[in-house]
Amino acid sequence: MIVETTRFGSISVAEEDIITFSEGMLGFSKIDSYVLVERTDDSLFLWLQAVKKPSVAFPLLEPQILDRNFKVELEDEDRKALKLETNLSGGKVFCIITIPTDPTKMTANLKAPIVINLKKRIAKQVILHSQDYPIRKSIFSDLQQHCATNQRTIFPVADTTSYQAIHISEEMSTLTKNI
Amino acid sequence: MLVLTRKLGESITIDDDIKIVVVQIKGGHVRLGIEAPRDTKIHREEVYIAIQDQNKLAAESQTPTLVKNVAKSVRPS
Repeated sequence: MIVETTRFGSISVAEEDIITFSEGMLGFSKIDSYVLVERTDDSLFLWLQAVKKPSVAFPLLEPQILDRNFKVELEDEDRKALKLETNLSGGKVFCIITIPTDPTKMTANLKAPIVINLKKRIAKQVILHSQDYPIRKSIFSDLQQHCATNQRTIFPVADTTSYQAIHISEEMSTLTKNI
Repeated sequence: MLVLTRKLGESITIDDDIKIVVVQIKGGHVRLGIEAPRDTKIHREEVYIAIQDQNKLAAESQTPTLVKNVAKSVRPS
């Protein structure tokens, strides 16, 4: 199927790569279908694009890049909703990033990451009630440092930028895009 | 909304297994004690609201094209 987006143009998506958020994201409870989108060239960010709402897309980063010790302790209710058997095996965690007009002021939400069950392609935004993480962590300077160390750029500059849907597979739990 | 008046030390129960006690009343603050099963989600409402607000900002994140234009000035050399 073709997913129309305001940011990335039209993207071809296989049905099996659609991720279902049965409860939606907080504040977006009516939107339950999303697809992960990445740039075809090198980029740190992934985007969680709403399938039926072209203007809604959340930038994502893997949390380890922002906080090496970041750890999700799923509450039982969340684990059941995600149909994960043990804490996070078969699951993949991403943090939602806010990129304002001035990208140097970008922040990450470590308090409420999204967790995807890669096998069942269901996902949920969980709140880490028992863990003291910030909702708005400034990340630009950390990212800059990470990129300098790994010889990456935060925003690769390309003349023609194209985007593609990411195939969801269980291998994603071990693959790390950001490192 | 059901509104009840309680004095210090009094409580209310919800279903069979949730109990809320008024522990302290001081100035404009009321301290509540809550007994509930482990899987009951209890939170200060402002945490949810802060996350909702943040999600709304995140969903409006700068389009990559515009980000690309400023990238030249901020990319590490």
